[in-house]
Amino acid sequence: MIEQLLQVVVLSCFAYLLVVNGVAIAFLVIGAVENAVRKHEEDSADYGTLAASRFTIPVSIIVAAYNEAKVIESTVESFLGFDYPEFEVVVVNDGSTDDTLERLCESFELQPYEVFVRHVFPSRPVRTIYRSTSHPNLVVVDKENGGKADSWNAALNVARFRYVCGVDADTVFDPKALLKVMRFPMNDPARIIGVTSQIATAREPEHVLAMPPGRRRVEGGLLALYQHLDFLRAFLNNRLAWSKFGFMMCSPGGFQIWRRDVLEEVGGYSTAFTCEDIELTFRIHDKFRREGRDYVIHCLPDSVGVTEGPDDIAKLVSQRERWQRVINETVVHYRRMWFNPRYGSVGMVGAPFYLVTEVLSPLVELLALASLVAAVALGLFELDVFLVVVAAMAFVNAALTAGAILLDDVQSRLYRVRDLVRLLLWSPFDLVLYRPIITWARVKGTWGYLRGDKSWYRFERNIRVEN
Amino acid sequence: MNALVLQIGLVVLVLSVSAWVALSVVLVVGRLRYERRRSLAPRQLRRRTARRLVRRVEATPRTEWGRWRRVSALQRLERDHHPAVPRLIRRVLKDADQGIAAAAIRTLGDIGDDWAVELLVDALRLGLGPRSRAAAELEHLAPAPGPQLVQLLRDWNPAVRFWGAALLGAYPGLGDSTLITLTWDADPNVRAAAVETLGTRSGSEVGAALLARLDDSEWFVRVHAARAAGHVLGAEAAPSTTRLLADERWWVRTAAKDALRGMGVDAIPALLSVLGHEDVFARNGAAEILQDIGFVDFLALDDPKSPLLARIYAAGGDRLREAAEARIESLAAADDVRAA
Repeated sequence: MIEQLLQVVVLSCFAYLLVVNGVAIAFLVIGAVENAVRKHEEDSADYGTLAASRFTIPVSIIVAAYNEAKVIESTVESFLGFDYPEFEVVVVNDGSTDDTLERLCESFELQPYEVFVRHVFPSRPVRTIYRSTSHPNLVVVDKENGGKADSWNAALNVARFRYVCGVDADTVFDPKALLKVMRFPMNDPARIIGVTSQIATAREPEHVLAMPPGRRRVEGGLLALYQHLDFLRAFLNNRLAWSKFGFMMCSPGGFQIWRRDVLEEVGGYSTAFTCEDIELTFRIHDKFRREGRDYVIHCLPDSVGVTEGPDDIAKLVSQRERWQRVINETVVHYRRMWFNPRYGSVGMVGAPFYLVTEVLSPLVELLALASLVAAVALGLFELDVFLVVVAAMAFVNAALTAGAILLDDVQSRLYRVRDLVRLLLWSPFDLVLYRPIITWARVKGTWGYLRGDKSWYRFERNIRVEN
Repeated sequence: MNALVLQIGLVVLVLSVSAWVALSVVLVVGRLRYERRRSLAPRQLRRRTARRLVRRVEATPRTEWGRWRRVSALQRLERDHHPAVPRLIRRVLKDADQGIAAAAIRTLGDIGDDWAVELLVDALRLGLGPRSRAAAELEHLAPAPGPQLVQLLRDWNPAVRFWGAALLGAYPGLGDSTLITLTWDADPNVRAAAVETLGTRSGSEVGAALLARLDDSEWFVRVHAARAAGHVLGAEAAPSTTRLLADERWWVRTAAKDALRGMGVDAIPALLSVLGHEDVFARNGAAEILQDIGFVDFLALDDPKSPLLARIYAAGGDRLREAAEARIESLAAADDVRAA
């Protein structure tokens, strides 16, 4: 009886893996075509003309900063250094307990000013608004602590332009990042309501971004390398295909552009969820699909910035645990979309994809691992069969990863050849070296979600802090 | 079950290892070839290659990928100054895909010859590709397109009149009388563009036209009118602009604040008259501008007990007073440091 049950479980897990990997291969093929199209499109972009044009649409960059004293100067400098005709930077100090505000005041010569704004988006009370005497396009809002979503809402109340770009305070950007993404809304501002792009991770983002194309290194140890691969797979294997078929389900908080009127319509960022980015994207799809409106949320294959990734396993687990919780919260909250034809590709592919590959996968992976071990222990599986299965899974994963590295290199030609080879050679070991950590984090996240945990863990800053 | 799983596992393993190896080889070889190509100087196209590229541009591919290859071929021919480019670019410009047409527009901008300018104006007039991209290229090519832009102001299509008016911002004195007429256009977008461009001009007729548009029925026309009137008339526009501090639309109030701030100290008399306005946002706005142009700091330093300062604080609220006091304090601290 137990043996039969184990057989059913093992075969079900195999079937699940085949389906998930089949979908991943399909998305990779679609992503490859989309990537090639975007590459041609990128080659035709005229950044020089756009950067000098009066007709370029102005953008408000909004930044939430909580205890970011160690990095805030360099990241705000990075935002102010955007090569873009007209933009403002609104930094919100979210009740930091360190000297984030003092650093900002000192570095950017801030002076307190009373600015009367409309409170369209709900937020915790604002204490003081500062303007910079050295950078007229910089505004700093000091407010009571309320979290990232609350801070972005406070920034939206102060922001003046039609498009809003939400960025993380620990991310540094390519100076052309805004031009790269805003060229799409400039061509079709009526339909394109949101744009997002890829973000790379590194231990020292400023250092990595300063390296010329073709010379960039994949810095750090194996953990950094596998996180890099993880990001590449997420963006190039999945999100390009989602964007192509109109179900871009997550504009990541590290870099997202929205049309302001859309944010006003949906009521801004929600503080009811652990994290704000994926929930907002789901909410916008929900509203626009129900109302039958024509809209596009676009995803670029380019990496426009570099953010700091966790540099040890404990930090990584905490980060991914939180991501899992918010995915579960959002996907379950918007369960009316699941397999609902009224929502088009969002209801029939996007939301179910998240349900199957994100919400259910930690449980299936755990079940697969336990049942495989039990099957080997009970003699149901011979060890060589077990090893063949594990090797097959590792190389399926490695092939998908190689596809993502290839697409990224075709698009950007950023990394050195020897680093590409290093990425390729380590990719088959992802299943045994990195995946167990992520599975553990996701199981923890699922458990946290079931317990109703909504805490927001921030990992400590890495080495760049000391430099 | 062992046998079945083993068979499936082996098949998947062989396929996945092959795919991994193939993709890795394609990646590394492709990258090395790219590096080699990049290190070589660009060569003149061979006649055979050029003919192949011309055929590719002349074809009408069905897939998006094929259409973009067509654009790449056109750009390669353009880099080689191939004589067929003017003929080919007209074809690509008519592509229904806005992205493809935009790429053709960019190529025209790169060429910049008289015929390219003419084609760009045609693209703008006929809506071939995104008009905003054609406008950006025409703006980039200034002053060459100037005379051809005036005719756009009389086009039947409001979108064309809009872009014509917007582009004339870079040509002082060109088409002024038509622009003044367009401030009464039936289409509010055209009125807004005409008003914005007139903001770069001068003269009493222009000023009168702009003041009239401060009462436009469309809020975004009033936004442009407030800013433009401030530029053209300066403090003369202040009394009319202060009215907009109590406008029903928030963005008009914001534009009025920007315009009054830009007028500097000349706007002070008009602003003081608003401090007792019945609309709280108008009072707040006036106090905020007096703060931004330095009048509040001046009074706080010169005569902290001044009744005028008290009136501004009453209009702006406690936080405006606290912010002013904090600024004065930091100024005093800086003076102390300098004195030491």
